[in-house]
Formats: sequence, structure tokens, C-alpha cells
Amino acid sequence: MNERVIPWQPTVIAGPKQALLVTPETAEMMLQKAKRPLMVIGPLIKDSPILGLATSIADKWNIPIVSTGDAFKSLNEAGVESKPYGVVEIVNLLKDPDWKGITGEGQHDLVMFIGVIYYIGSQGLSTLKHFAPHLKTLTLCKYFHSNADASFPNMKDEAWIRYLEKLAE
Amino acid sequence: MVHRPKPKEFKDDFWKSKNIKLSIGDIIEKQGTEEAPESMGPTPKPNVTDLRSWDMKLLERYEPFYAPFCDMCCLCTYGKCDLTAGKKGACGIDIKAQQARIVLLACCIGSAAHSGHARHLLDYLIGKKGIDFPVDLGMNIEIEAPIMRVLLGKKPKTLGDLREALDYLEEQMVHLLSACHTGQEGSSEDFESKAFQAGLMDNLGKEIGDIAQIVALNMPKGEDAPLVELGFGTINKEKPVVLCIGHNVAPGAGIIDYLEDKDLEDDVEVCGICCAALDITRYNKSAKVVGPISKQLKFVRSGVADVIVVDEQCVRTDVLEEAKKNKAAVIATTDKICLGLPDLTNEDADKIVKQLVNEEIEGALILDPDKVGEVASRVAMQIAKDREALKILPDLDEIQEMAKECTECGWCQRVCPNSQPMMDAVMDASKGDFSKFIELYENDVCYTCGRCEQECERDLPLISMLTKIGEHYVKDEKYNVRAGRGPVQDVEIRRVGAPIVLGDIPGVIAFVGCTNYPEGGEDVAKMAEEFLERNYIVVTSGCGAMTVGEYRNEEGKTLYERYSGDFDAKGLVNVGSCVSNAHIPGACIKIANIFAKKPLEGNFEEIADYILNRVGACGVAWGAYSQKAAAIATGVNRWGIPVVVGPHGTKYRRLFLGRTDKPETWKLNDLRTGEVIDGEPAPEHLLYAAENRGEATVMIAKLCIRPNDTSKGRQIKLNHYLDLHKKYFGTLPDDVYRFVRNDKDIPITYKKEVLAMLEEKGWEPRALPQEPSTMDFREKSEGK
Repeated sequence: MNERVIPWQPTVIAGPKQALLVTPETAEMMLQKAKRPLMVIGPLIKDSPILGLATSIADKWNIPIVSTGDAFKSLNEAGVESKPYGVVEIVNLLKDPDWKGITGEGQHDLVMFIGVIYYIGSQGLSTLKHFAPHLKTLTLCKYFHSNADASFPNMKDEAWIRYLEKLAE
Repeated sequence: MVHRPKPKEFKDDFWKSKNIKLSIGDIIEKQGTEEAPESMGPTPKPNVTDLRSWDMKLLERYEPFYAPFCDMCCLCTYGKCDLTAGKKGACGIDIKAQQARIVLLACCIGSAAHSGHARHLLDYLIGKKGIDFPVDLGMNIEIEAPIMRVLLGKKPKTLGDLREALDYLEEQMVHLLSACHTGQEGSSEDFESKAFQAGLMDNLGKEIGDIAQIVALNMPKGEDAPLVELGFGTINKEKPVVLCIGHNVAPGAGIIDYLEDKDLEDDVEVCGICCAALDITRYNKSAKVVGPISKQLKFVRSGVADVIVVDEQCVRTDVLEEAKKNKAAVIATTDKICLGLPDLTNEDADKIVKQLVNEEIEGALILDPDKVGEVASRVAMQIAKDREALKILPDLDEIQEMAKECTECGWCQRVCPNSQPMMDAVMDASKGDFSKFIELYENDVCYTCGRCEQECERDLPLISMLTKIGEHYVKDEKYNVRAGRGPVQDVEIRRVGAPIVLGDIPGVIAFVGCTNYPEGGEDVAKMAEEFLERNYIVVTSGCGAMTVGEYRNEEGKTLYERYSGDFDAKGLVNVGSCVSNAHIPGACIKIANIFAKKPLEGNFEEIADYILNRVGACGVAWGAYSQKAAAIATGVNRWGIPVVVGPHGTKYRRLFLGRTDKPETWKLNDLRTGEVIDGEPAPEHLLYAAENRGEATVMIAKLCIRPNDTSKGRQIKLNHYLDLHKKYFGTLPDDVYRFVRNDKDIPITYKKEVLAMLEEKGWEPRALPQEPSTMDFREKSEGK
């Protein structure tokens, strides 16, 4: 098997359906196609310089942000507007095609995750893979997430930052 | 074959109207031992489907949230079957039902672990004390077995009476497990209903097990228990050391009895890991607790234990292989864990001792706890001297040399359940810098599962390296934990029932089970401290109880030294081992009975409805990993008690989440007025996985809110919820309007801010319910 498509934690391989490995260019195409994207930011990047890049991407594409865990406080202090949800709460809402979305304008069609703890993120992505055919999932973490529809490969920090910069440019 | 009618077959007017004595089943042989209660509720000895209507009410509000761990089903020879994208398996099962089936299976395994243990222990204790040995918990506890009272409609008077409860439980478990077979149940909701039943049987099995050991082994009966020693540093390595691992007190008690009989109790160190440790300290306070499950591999690798006695549950399955590394002797003691060892139960003790001492055998299976006591003690005394010189762990120079072999492949970090930086620690160690290893050692950041070692292409003994580097700190690992006290006393329930139900005591928070999580022990202790400071009642059990004891404040005091063991506001109550968990729903049931006079017998739904709507209790299982934890949580969920699990808890595949955007799911029936009223999301979720401690803390406070709170109680609960939200999220929660029914509910300290938020939301006041319930109105339930 190609090294690049093994999930960061190799044992999370769940079955026959695995994420498409994407570059910033293909991720950008997904964003262009999306009508109501959403960004979910987890606590792992709440105090990291990566947060700036993530919010720049959200700004550029005019994407509302959900913060999970206790990330809301850090984001709020950094002047980033977000709505706090538990990661399982937001995934639960995202799987319901009738949910009105963060802005009340309708269910989202693309959800990007970054900074959520790997294994809880993997489980949430599995929920969406099985029960939310109405939306696509894309991970912006530096680890390959096989349960997403599309994911970045496993990367070192430098490469990851380059990927995010390209999406934010 | 004689037909023995079940009590349910009498579940009509005849049963209810006649104050007859039961004369069925076992009871016919013991005339006069049992009287039928004056009134029996609708569900004595509920069968798999008898509480299904209650389950469906819960499932309608708390729709199961599934997070498949695997996309496939691999349980039968049709498979593997791909269940992605709406595909069904060859048997017809879909991904939702498959997840629910796995949850049921997990709950059955967990429940069987506790109940199999209870059966084993009860039969042993009956053999030791006699079938008529009284179930007497003393003057302060009249409701000695609240779960059994509700489920069987019966007060156990003797150990023999507990057997009847186990017979019922085991019958249910066979039915539940059979539903997991290919081609049986097909509905996820019905699988969940059955999982609730398996969880309920788990609760019952634990109650039976703990009551049996409390009365037969004279463990604390709800009274304040003494502090006992805890931690690596408390173990005297100069003495022969016997280590008990697992969850069954019988072999440990056998060891203590033997040493006392021979006047050797000061000559041998008896200690334990996991619940066996807690239970032997309930039996004899001179025993010591090494610590929770996260210490297991470290302690075994340290070579301190001369003899390792394993019983059941939560024991590393490679314990024999690990013990051989430092020539410790292993004794297996139950049918659950035989480890391939020869069964020497009927062999002469002298001969077994000789064979073990001379290393003629790798270990022994001894199913007689008294013989275990003799053999373990004698072997430890004989081999301890020779093991003194045993080189157990590599020294620091060796570690540095070993570390230089690291190829930096990084797979130790990738296979770590928590992606901890093991490779970085090894790389630094190769330069003589052990600080990253120390960071992994402290607070069990690395909880020593050993997956990294399996993956290392250089076969570096990473856990041994970690253990050696941490050895320097062992001397400081001296703490204490309050020994498990068993049930909550009726008199305490009388004292706190009203303030809990009315909301003056803002909640009862139970930290149960494992804390297998990086810094999990400290996380749990900090959460416990936070809620103790805020006047909640905090209850602990199992490994959670131990790790709370490992946390000290700046003055060097543990929470057990700073807070009383009373079941009261600001009380920190260690009920005991995992089987003692039963006393936590037990306390909630007692509140319904003692404070609200709700009859117990055969009355599950009314009791659970009372707890769900009025008793602000919340369970927390922060590092839960096992099937037992799945069964524990599912069982208390059915009683109406919400549970918060840590992030790994999502791997249980199923949570129960409420939807605040669906107000129709929060409607309540006011039984006093006969009206359907608007409720609030209280408790908002029934089983919730939090991503970190901050999120968990805020959620726990929120999940203590109940529809029945008085305005004063709601003010207090909201005050804590708002405070904690502000602390961890930096702002007030924007859902506060959902919980404010009228002006009097608003916490005074936040009045101005909350009023502004209410105005912004277009909030309107509403009436307080008088008797909020999730049950049907009586007319409806009676079909009128």
C-alpha cells in the first residue's frame, strides 16, 4: 500500500471506503463548489500559529466557524468569531439533513475539520461518512484521515503550513 | 417437569389486591422467609421487553448517535459485509443496527464480567458462610439492595436470597446475548432497548456482588472508612511482596487470612492494582493500593512484586510473559483467567510451593482462595531473597546506549493511542536528556499500554526504559485513598434528599471507572475538586477513586484529606470498587423511595422517571476503555442518569444526544395538573463524549439541571453552569435562556447580563412544572 494513504494512526482504517488524498488545489476546487461550507476548529490548534492560517482560510472563503472542546475562549480572545459546540454535538447536527445550519440558512454541504483530537475526529468523520450523504468532509489537519471524504496526507509541519498558506492565499 | 409460574403471570388485579404470601420457586422451600410486598408495581422481574416502552421514550428524546469504528460486519461466514453507503449485509443488517448490535454485545460482555464475578464470589461466600448468612448492613441501612428491590420486588435477607436475583439475571443475559446472533434483531432501537436491559443487569450483578462481599467479609457498611496507603512509594520492597491484580477480593482475602493466622502480617507486603486493591483494603486496611490500571505494566516491569496473583477483569493478558522477565511467580485464581497454567487446585500446597520456587512450573492455577493465600505467601517469602539481586530494569547508561539505536521511524508515536511523543523522548535520551521521558512518566501521560514496544523495529524496551527513568520519582509516590465505604446510608439520604431534588445541592457527580488517559488521573481529580468547592456531592469508585488520591494541592494534601467522606454537600465519597458502582444509582433510587415515598417493588419506570426528572446526578467515566464501562454507563442511563465520557469514549460507537432545536422532544407531562407542558433540555444529553476537561466540566454542570428544580435550586445550578462556562469558554453560554423559566431562576450575580440575553432571544416566562414526568398520564397508560 502506498505510504501516503495510510492514516496517521494506521488502525483507524475502517473498511473499503477511504478518503481521497487532496492537495491544496483540489481542496480549493471543493471549496469553490460548496454553497454552504463550515469550518470546525478543535482545541489542538487553539494556541497554535496554525490558528491564524485556519482563520485566514475561513475569512477568504467567508466560512462560519464552529469551535469544539474549549477552543472557543482562545478563538474569542484572538478576535475570531465562532460558535461553541461539542464535537459530537456539531457532528450530530450535521448528520441531520433538515438541520438549518449555523447561520440558519440550511444544512451545510462541505465541512472542514482542523485541530480536533485525531481519534475523536476520526469517529465523527465516520458518523458523517455513513449518515450524512448530503455533505462532504475535508480535513485540514497534518494527518491523513481515512474516514473523511478528502484529506491532506501525513505531513511535517513545514509542508502542512505550505498547504494551508496556499488555501489562504 | 414442574411448571413454576413467574411472578409476571400474576401481574393483574389478583396480584395487586391480595396481600398474599409468595409461594413459588425457591421460596416454597423456605416458608416464612419472604413476604410479598403490600403493593407490587407493574414490572417485577422485567423481561427483555417489559421496559421497552420506557426505553423508547428515552430513545425518542436521546436519539442514538452512531460513530462506526468499522465499516463492515465480520461476525458470520457470509461476510465480511460492506455496510457503507446504505448497503446491507448478506443477512440484511444495516450499519445502524450493526452498531447497536455491537453496543449490545459490549454491554453483554461488560455485564457478564460483573455478574460472572458476582456469581463466582457469591457461591464462594455461601460455601464459606452458609446459605442463610444474613444480609445485614447495620442499623443505618434498611434499603440494603435498592436495585434488587426494584427489579425483583424482594428484600434479600440472606446470601441465598441473592442467588434468586442472579438466577433471574442470568436468564435475562442468555436472551440478550442470543439477540446478537445473525438473523435475529434488526432494529437499532430494539438493540438499544436490549442494551439498556443488559446495562440494568450489570447494575444488578454489581449490587449482588458488593452486598455479598460487604456482609460476608465484614467490609465497611456505609460508615466513614479509614484512609489507606496508595502509590508505588508506599510499597516496602525490603519485604516479600504479593501483588493482586484484578477485581476479585477472594484470593487477596485468602492471602491476608493466611498471614494473620500465621502471625506473618508484618513480614509480607500485600498490595494490589485495580479493584482487587480497593477491595482488599476494604477487607483489611493494612493492604496497600499500588494504583489504577495505568500502573500495571510499569509495576510488573519494575520487578518489585515477587508473586503476582491475578483474578479476573482488567488484567494484562500477557502478565505471565511479563512476570517471567523478572522471575516473579504467577498464580491464576479463577476460571476467567487460566493463562494456560496447570490446575493445581487439588494439589498439596507444599508441592505447589516447591514447584514454583524451583521454577519447575511457569505458574499455577489454583481455584481455592484459601490455598492461594498459603501458596502465594510462602512462595513470596521463599523467593524474595533470591530476587533481590535480580537485574530488573536497564540502568540509565544502558538506556542512553539503547536509545542511540532508534531509527527515528516514528511508528511508536503513530501507534500510540494518544500520539504521545515517545520517539522524541528516545531521541533526547540518546543524548542523555531524559526530560521528555519524565514528562511521559509523570501523571501517567503514557499509561503504558505498550503498543509502542510492539512496533519498534529495534525492539527497544520502551516501557522498561520509561519505568527506569521514572524510578527516581517512586519514593515521592506516597498518597492515600479513603477505603471504599459501600452503600450510602438511609439517614444520609433523608438529610440530602430534599436539597438534591429541589436543587439546593447542585448535583451528585460520580467519577467511576478507569482514568486511562494522559493526565487522566489529574483531570479527574481537578474536576472533582472543582465540584467539591462548589458544594456538589462527589462520589468515586474503582480506578477513578485511586487516581483522585494521587493529586495533591500546594500544601501536599489529597482531596481525601481535605474533604469529608460524607454523602453530603462538599463530601467526597469513595463507594469502593467497580462493583460498588451499584450504590450510586442505588442512592438515587433511595432518594425516590425515602424522600418521595415512591414504592420500589416492581416499579422501575416510575423510579427511573423520578430520577431523570428530579435527581441532579451525573456520571463521569473519563478514561473508560472496557466493555464493563459500556455496560455501567448504559445501565445508569436507563435509570435516567446522564454520563460524560472522555474523547476515547466515542469508540464505544454510540452516544445518546438530545436536540435542543427540537422543542417537541422536551415536552413534559405534569402529573399533578394533567397537562402537557413545555420542558427544557434537562438533562440535555444522556451519554456524551467531551473532547477535553474544560468542555467536560461545563457539560457536567449543565447535565445536573432537572425540570423539577425549584427557582432557588435552578439559580444555584445555573450560577455554577454560568461560572464554569465563563471560566472555560470566556463567555456566558448562549443557551441560558432555555433554562430560565421565570425571573426567579436567574442567578443574582449574573442578573443584568442574563436579562439582556433573554431580551435578545425574545424570551417569555413560563410556569414551573409541579410534577414533571416523562411517563404517560395514568389514564393513557391504563388505556382509558
